Amino acid sequence: MSFFLRLAIFALSLFTITAGPVAAQEPIRIGVLLPLTGPFAKNGLENWEAMQIARDMINERGGVNGRKIEYLQGDATNPNAAISETERLITREGIKITTGSFASPLAIAVSQAAERNGVFHWETTGAAEIITRRGFKHTFQVGAPARKYGQAAVDFVVEDLAKRLKKPVADLKIALLWENRAFGKSVGDGIRAYVETKKIKLVYDEGYDQFATDMTPIVQKLKDAAPDVLIAISFPNDAILFQRKAKELNLNVAAFVGVSAGYSSPDLRTSIGDMVNGIFVADFPPKVNPNVLKPETRKVADEFYKRYEAKLQRPPAGHAAAGFSAIWALFTEVLPKAKTFQPDELREIALKLDLPEGSLVNGSGIKFTNFDWADDTKDAGQNLRASIGVWQWTKQGNEQVFPPKLATHEAIDVPMPDWNKR
Amino acid sequence: MTAFSQLLISGILIGSIYALMSIGLTLVFGVLRVVNFAHGEFLMLAMYGAWGITQVLGLNPYWGLIAIVPAMFLFGAIVHRLIVQPALDKPHLVVVFATMGLSIFMQNVALMAMSADLRDVPPVFAQSVIIGPLYFKAELLLGFVVTLVCTVALQWIIRKTYLGKAIRATVQDGEAAMLMGIPVPHIFLITFAGGSALVGLAACIMLPLFSVFPTVGLNFVLIAFVIVVLGGMGSIEGALLGGICVGVVQSLSGYYIAPAFGQMFFFILFLLVMIFRPNGLLGQKGAANIGMNS
Repeated sequence: MSFFLRLAIFALSLFTITAGPVAAQEPIRIGVLLPLTGPFAKNGLENWEAMQIARDMINERGGVNGRKIEYLQGDATNPNAAISETERLITREGIKITTGSFASPLAIAVSQAAERNGVFHWETTGAAEIITRRGFKHTFQVGAPARKYGQAAVDFVVEDLAKRLKKPVADLKIALLWENRAFGKSVGDGIRAYVETKKIKLVYDEGYDQFATDMTPIVQKLKDAAPDVLIAISFPNDAILFQRKAKELNLNVAAFVGVSAGYSSPDLRTSIGDMVNGIFVADFPPKVNPNVLKPETRKVADEFYKRYEAKLQRPPAGHAAAGFSAIWALFTEVLPKAKTFQPDELREIALKLDLPEGSLVNGSGIKFTNFDWADDTKDAGQNLRASIGVWQWTKQGNEQVFPPKLATHEAIDVPMPDWNKR
Repeated sequence: MTAFSQLLISGILIGSIYALMSIGLTLVFGVLRVVNFAHGEFLMLAMYGAWGITQVLGLNPYWGLIAIVPAMFLFGAIVHRLIVQPALDKPHLVVVFATMGLSIFMQNVALMAMSADLRDVPPVFAQSVIIGPLYFKAELLLGFVVTLVCTVALQWIIRKTYLGKAIRATVQDGEAAMLMGIPVPHIFLITFAGGSALVGLAACIMLPLFSVFPTVGLNFVLIAFVIVVLGGMGSIEGALLGGICVGVVQSLSGYYIAPAFGQMFFFILFLLVMIFRPNGLLGQKGAANIGMNS
């Protein structure tokens, strides 16, 4: 009896060994590089949540052609850590696909390490123009490039705010305030160049030190310039200091447009309370009008927002929605068409993508440059159809207001009530 | 003219807040002749403490003073006993590295415990105080008053009380003071803890004005060092004057020249003072070696 039992067990074990690989294929392993500790950690962790939701959703749908998605985490605290973590995942874990990495300096580092090792990098939210202008072959930036942030702000002023303020664009007094480090300066430069093409003169254009502890001189200068519209590029700490000082010194503008970073952080409301209401933000859209989305994308979007809100008790910020959108496109548009999963094959697939706007959850489409873009022939791997727009802080939360087709709401509070009436 | 008056007075007000935050540093330097490089992190810790009190008890941060000042006194005493005192009779660099290490340690602990998020409290007073065409935040005016009271009170303690006499004796000649029965190690301990308590006071005054985050100390510690040296190392009324100078220079240069230069102009002022008055504005001759004014 015991002999038969043993034989049966032996036979059964043989069966499971041979049947194993057939029943459950090897997972597709992807290296996710995000800042999980350090000063960027907050946004990095939100992105990580969005990425995990995407992985769970695709795996529940049976994975990619039957293969599950598996993530390997790398903690890209700063550019140096980003490089060593990327190399660790590539050399020790044998990763062939990387993604991430939330902030431009990290994106520059991760893509550099990936390219050096011939690994395919799918960048979700990095913005600096340089990311796709180094002649790299395997780096694809799904999010919008830096110049688009500023352009969105200016387009919004010209096409929407001018009408609401009942002034011809030429008479509109526009001021530009930027923090004078990499991000603020590059966005500021972009805006300056762009308003020139629109024949608009700035009444005020000045950089300031992000670590300034006193905003009095800046606010006083702006009071003298008395702009109708103020466009500001700030980080959280200086954005808060500026808004408080503007209130203290009673600086009133008809419209305030912040660009990304400091003004788009969901914590701004926790910090300065109802003072946020009415502020416009040029950034990734946190949520777009569902009517622009393709029907199947709309279903995915609904599920994503529901899951994210259930998990974090608040709607996703624009960068988290962008992270989800990009990785979902990788799962559904790139990987299913791959056979070898080699970087060169993935590159070919990515370059062939031609998705109209509204294909991704945040309203983006996909069409990558490949050394063939008229504006810059050195550019390769930049998505020309990434959506960027303007949303507004409202009493209830935030609403997309521009461009019109992505808008969920009309812009309100234009002109903005004076401080003493708020 | 309105703009000038606004900038001048705003500069004086914010400068007095800088001074308040620097008095603890100058006091410790004046008596112990050590520079506490973790001064900014003491401020950060105290601001988190005050923030915690407003969150848990729903009080405005000024009430936090009652708990934060004694708590920071105790914290200062512990740091002195564990880190500063053992390094006092060693070469000067030991204290520098010890406090610098403490600074990095505290920043990272804060990052782990509190994350990088900015923490704020709602404004205490809803509206600005309006005087003619000028606007002032009531919190700043209050801070100015507290700084003045604090400077006068500290001067009184040092000039008129027995403790003050003992502190002055210690500064003048530690060994002689010890021979006269003054417990010098205790004086050091009380001074360091007192300096730390003053940072606690400054933190409660600053919380309604500034966000708190793990590296907030770095934004202020450089200003504090400049103020201490500018005023005359160890001089309390010098710190007040130095703080106001920094505030005014920052405010006027930002307006009339450019805000992009940030701290450059008060460093120019700093260099000028160092060239023409090497002991600071109100410091005595050889202040760096002697310490507090006699």
